[in-house]
Formats: sequence, C-alpha cells, structure tokens
Amino acid sequence: MKLSIEGVSKRYGAKTLALQDFSLELGPGILGLLGPNGAGKTTLMSILATITRPSSGTIRWDGADLARDPNAIRSLLGYLPQDFGVYPNLNAVEFLEYLAAVKGLDAGAAARRIDELLNLVNLTDVRKRPLGGYSGGMRQRIGIAQALLNDPKLLIVDEPTAGLDPEERVRFRNLLSDLSGDRIVILSTHIVSDVEATATDIALISQGRLVAHAAPEDLLRAVEGKVWEWVVPSAELNAARQQHLISNTTRRSDGVHVRLLAAQPPAGTTAVAPNLEDAYLYCLSKYRGGAAA
Amino acid sequence: MKQPLRALYQMVKADFLERVRRYSFLVILAGALWLAYGIAAEKVWVRVGDGYRGVYNSAWIGMLMAICSSTFLSLCGFYVVKNSVERDSTTRVGRILAATPMRKEFYTVAKTVSNFAVLACMVLVLMAAALAMQWVRPEVRPISLWQLWSPFLLITLPAMFVTGSVALLFETLPVLRSGAGNVIYFFVWTFALVAGVQSGFDDPVGIRVLERSTHQAMERMNPGAATNSGFSLTIGGERASRTFLWNGVDWTLRGVGSRLLWVAVGLGIALLASVFFHRFDPARERIGGRKVGKKSGMAADDPALEARPAQAALGHTVLTALDGRAHGRFARLVLSELTLMAKGLRWWWYVVAAGLLVAEVVSPTVQAREGVLLAAWIWPALVWSQMGCRETRCDMQSLIFSAERVVYRQLFAIWVAGVAIALVTGAGTGIRLLASSGGSSDWKMLAAWFAGALFIPSMAVAMGVWSGTSKLFEAVYTVWWYVGPLHQLLTLDFVGGTRGSSSPGLYLTLAAGLLLVACLGRRRQVAYA
Repeated sequence: MKLSIEGVSKRYGAKTLALQDFSLELGPGILGLLGPNGAGKTTLMSILATITRPSSGTIRWDGADLARDPNAIRSLLGYLPQDFGVYPNLNAVEFLEYLAAVKGLDAGAAARRIDELLNLVNLTDVRKRPLGGYSGGMRQRIGIAQALLNDPKLLIVDEPTAGLDPEERVRFRNLLSDLSGDRIVILSTHIVSDVEATATDIALISQGRLVAHAAPEDLLRAVEGKVWEWVVPSAELNAARQQHLISNTTRRSDGVHVRLLAAQPPAGTTAVAPNLEDAYLYCLSKYRGGAAA
Repeated sequence: MKQPLRALYQMVKADFLERVRRYSFLVILAGALWLAYGIAAEKVWVRVGDGYRGVYNSAWIGMLMAICSSTFLSLCGFYVVKNSVERDSTTRVGRILAATPMRKEFYTVAKTVSNFAVLACMVLVLMAAALAMQWVRPEVRPISLWQLWSPFLLITLPAMFVTGSVALLFETLPVLRSGAGNVIYFFVWTFALVAGVQSGFDDPVGIRVLERSTHQAMERMNPGAATNSGFSLTIGGERASRTFLWNGVDWTLRGVGSRLLWVAVGLGIALLASVFFHRFDPARERIGGRKVGKKSGMAADDPALEARPAQAALGHTVLTALDGRAHGRFARLVLSELTLMAKGLRWWWYVVAAGLLVAEVVSPTVQAREGVLLAAWIWPALVWSQMGCRETRCDMQSLIFSAERVVYRQLFAIWVAGVAIALVTGAGTGIRLLASSGGSSDWKMLAAWFAGALFIPSMAVAMGVWSGTSKLFEAVYTVWWYVGPLHQLLTLDFVGGTRGSSSPGLYLTLAAGLLLVACLGRRRQVAYA
C-alpha cells in the first residue's frame, strides 16, 4: 500500500500558486500535515481526495495514476473535508445510509457499519434526530462516521477535531491511532498536540512547499539543544519577543517564563527538553531564514 | 455624511459589490441585453388601439423599452434579487451583523436598496440600448434624452424599487422564503398586473400612466376614431401597420408624485419586512418546515445530550470487515434519492398528491382529467426543483463527489427518482389512457403523457446542476406551465396527454437533450469525471 505524490503543483489564476512541486511518498501509518494558514494543506487534501485536479504532477496509488483512474483511489477513500454540509432533514442513520448508497455499499453491510460507527462517534442516542438540529461538534462526528463508512484504506481528515470538546478529541485521536495499522491516514491540523499524540510521520508545509518530512523523533532531535527557558520580568517581555523566537510564555509569581528557540543560549537561560511545537516553529523559522536557524 | 446614512451606504455598497463581482451578475446583464435585443428586433412591441404603434421617436422608444423593463424585470428581477438575506445566512455574515447594534429596519431597508441597485443596473443596460436603438433605426432623427430616458426614471425605477422590496419581504416570511414563494410570486405578479390595469389606479408597473397618455395622443390625432383605448404589450404576432405620433407623457407634479409614491410603498414594504426578519436567530431557523426544537427537531445545545458521558470504550477500536461490498446497486441509490426528496415533505403534501391521483382516475370528462393532471404536475414542482442542486445547496459536493463512479450514477439516480415522481403523480391519467388506448390518437396521448413525465425532471436536473439553485427551475417551470399547458399554447404544452396537442417526439428529444446538458454540467463540477 503506497501513495506517491510526485511534483504536484496547483495554480489558482495567474498569480496564486497554492502548491509548488510537492513530492511525498506514504505508507501505512498516520501522517500529520502541519503548516501555517494558507500553506496549501487543504489544497493538497482536496487533490488527494480527487475533488481538485492538480495543475501539474502525478499522484499514484500503488502505482495507478489517479488522473487516469480516479475510481481506483475513490473506492478506498474516506474523506472528511474541513468544511462540509449535511442534509438537514435527514437523521444520522438516513444520512449515512444515503452516503453508503452513493459509495456503493451493500445494504446489509451498510446497516451494520452504520450502527457500529454511530456507537463509535457517540451519536447512537440521537440517531433519529434531524441533522439540522445538531451542534457543530455533533456534525463533525457525523462527518467522521461517514469518512469511515467504506472501511477506507486511505483516510484523509482535514481539521477533524475542530469543534470537538476535549473528551471527544481524545476519543478521536485514539480512534485514529487504532485504525491506522493497515491504512494510510493523512491528518491535517493546526493543533500540534493532535499530531503529537497520533502521527507516525510529520510533513511540514509552508507556502505550498514541503519543508520537512520526518518521524516526530527526528524532528525533535533536530531541535535538541536549541530550546531554552528564561525568566524575565513582565516589562521586558516585549524586548525579548523582538530578540528571540519565542514558542511559549507562562506567567508565574517570579516573572514570565519564556520558552525560546536559539542556536546559542542567551545569558541566564536553562536548557529544556524540546516538544513538537518547538520543532515546528524551528523548522518553519529555518525555512524562512529566521533567527533560530 | 451623517453616521446612519454612512452605515446605510456601506451596507448597500458591500452587498452590491458582493453581487456584481459574481459571474452570475454577467448572466443577469446578458439577460437584460437579450431583452433589449428582443425589443429592438420588434419581437416585443406595444400595440395601441386597433393595431397602432407609435412612430419610433425618442419618446416612443424610451416608453417601449421602459414598459418592457418594468413588466419583465418586475417578474424576472424578483428571482434575481431574492437571495440577499439568504446569502448573509449561508455565508454566515448574518450572524456577525446580528451581533452588532444594527436595527432590523435598517437592515431590511439597506437590503431593499441593494436589491434596487442590482435591478437598476439592468435598467441602465436598457437605457443604453434605447439610445442605440434610436441611433440605429431613426424614424425621427433628433434624439431627446429627456423623452428617451424619463420613462425609465419615472416608470421603471419605482417599479424596480417595489420589486426589490417585495423580494425582501418574501425572504423574511418563513413560508414564502422557500420555493413555494417563488411559485406563489408568479401568480401574485400576474394578478397584480391584471388588477392594476383594471383598477383604474396608477399601477406600480406604470401601464395605466402610459395607456392614458397614448389614448390622449390617439384622440388628438383622430378625435372620432380612437374609441379603442387598448394598450397591450405583445410578444411576436403580426406587427402594427399603422403609426401615430406620441411625444411622451406630459409629466405634471401630481403625475411624478404618484410614481414616487411607489418608492414610498416600497419603503413601507421594507419596513414591514423588518417585522418578520428574525435577525439570523438559529433557534428560528426552520428544518423541513418546522422550527428547530419542535417535535423531531432539537436544540443544537441540548444539555442533556452534550453532558452524556462517552459510552464507547476509549482506544482499541477495530471496525468489522465489510464483506458485503457491492458496487452498482443503482436501485438502492434511486431509493435513497427518493427518500431524500420525500424527507422534507409534510403529511398534507401526500394527502393532496393522493387526492389529485384519485381525481385523475375518477374524472368524468377528458377536460376535467386534463385539469387535474395539470394540478398534479405543478404540485411536486418544489420536489423537482431540488434535483441537481441539492448537493451544492447543502454543501455536500466534497462528500459525494469523492465517491467512486458517482458522477453519472448519482445524477441518473436523481433523474430516475424525479421521473418516478412524475409517473406516480400522473399515474391516474396514464392508467386511464392505457385502459382506453385503442386508436392511434390514444397512443399519441399516452406517448405525450410519458414524454411530459420525462421532460419535467430532465429540465429540473439540468437547471439545478447548472444554476446550483432551485430558483431557476421554480421560476421557468411555473411560467412555462402557466403559458403552455394551462393556456394551451401548443408549442409549449408539454403535458398535452389528454388533448393530444403536444408533440411527444419534441419533448422526448428535449428530455434527452436536457439530460445530456445536466451530465455536462455535472462533469464540469467534478475534477475527474
């Protein structure tokens, strides 16, 4: 099972290049796709989900070209877009039955799968309520359920935990981890902790280009010895911000505890263990030629 | 500029720019140009008295263009602008506006003015076309800009303001907001046009003002002969052979005042709309004709629901294998589409449909059966109008279009479901025709009935796919149904099963053509067809 993205670019109009010569090769596991707003994550997801055509480049699923045979990937695809609608008059069961029919699932198998999925996303009790009355979080859960309807080998989820409460977010993270064994899961998110908890691989994307593709441990190793903690008075925080790449600040009674990234430690700082958020900021800063590099 | 006026200006400007920067606005302008061409080519003309038309001077050309704009844009323009509140709702800008100190009256007046601005753009196109028309075909050379354009300013623009305000009122009233409003408006417009002309008062479209003025001109030309004061807008037909000179409406202060009164009426309607405007309150949104929270609906923030502890075990989830996977279960997809179509319908919809079906079977005369079939095929108009555009309207494209072999399979399933509805609602007539079919005319009627049943859903799905909205079909189908089958205009009669007046071959061909058009439209929507 292999998904190959080879030199994919996507141009909108004459000026906007959303993706530039993007290449990546994926096997089973969870790929966390991280990047700032407008980096091209959603465009990439949309291209992989066969919703958008790339301007150039090739995507292959087990060697089969997606442009020539999109159905090869669609039959194995589960897709949760960042923004999606529902039919407000249908209830959860009817909605999933409809999408099961669209996906060509057998009626009996679909009915069993729908029961299972509604239980999984904790919507069994409201299965007969019209979707129009669902909250944002509940709609997101029905979106997750529909993505899993056809037992996808390629699961693409774009900002899946947006709108979920902390408990549901943990459930979804666990679900992704459990399902990832024999599938390729691509998880796009702004929430680094979601990626930290689940991803077996991380791809950083900025300005439509691939900045880094590595295991989380490798990314953390790259920033080892470059993360420092510094306690500064509140009044000096702004000056510190202008001098250093700061990944976090915490106010305590002794001052502001500043977590910063720097190749050389400023005076009065102590080394701390890096986390994925530090690695993310470090890689982006390095790509842009920033101070921490 | 005073603060409220500046705010009003900014609201109108933002809404107007949002509309004119969409491609659909170009289609709107193209529509106005098409109307101008129709008038310039004398496809549409005004007949006065016993077959007279005015000499093509500035006054007559201006009046002709203005009254055509007033009449047609007060119908078509309504459908063009009846989406300003809906847009704020779908873009969710409305919720941001609702949280500001903006007053409801302020909002509805601003939206009315914005509706008017869009319609005024179409009028501007026609004003330019009027100038070009006199340039191209001058029966009287000197151009008088006042005579040419004053009918637009004093007749058309007030009519457009009323149209804009009525469109807004329809959007704020829950029942009229939906497709039912689109169908109902056509009948309201027809009634208002007829009643306005017959009442003797100045009507919003301005026909009475022009009728009076042209009648006086005819009387001046030939005092004894002008007994017929008729003033009619004519589409096609034999052209007038006799001409008379008309130099325009002699506008008095009272005449101008009576036209401006319609602007005040429009403002009144806009203020009335503010009474029904719910300020984007989600609790007052309707699902399937029912308010959220009632009966099967529910409050989105149901504490009992949200506080319920997780029941499924955390972690170690394994989905059971899907062993019964089967592609190409087309019948099941058709059933799913039928379920989707039927889902928003209330019980009384079925009662009426069943009543019409029974009436078709038991109607004693052919004429009665014909009338019932007409009713039976306008009744599901709002069900058909969702075909092909539901995916866009509900923002479901990304979920549906990423499924395997979905492009044509799902589209055909929608079409088959639509045909099934036409066949079932018209089944009474079909059964009667089958039972009585003996002669060739019976078979022709049966073929016409069947062609009609294929044609309606084909038109619905083609219009739905290409426009992305139900409104186009609702407007076109209602007008077509009214002009063709109801008023027995033979070439437009797609029902004609009982009269045998329609051409089944033509409508079968049209049905196939429209289905092909729908497929092309769907292909355009999907990256990989």
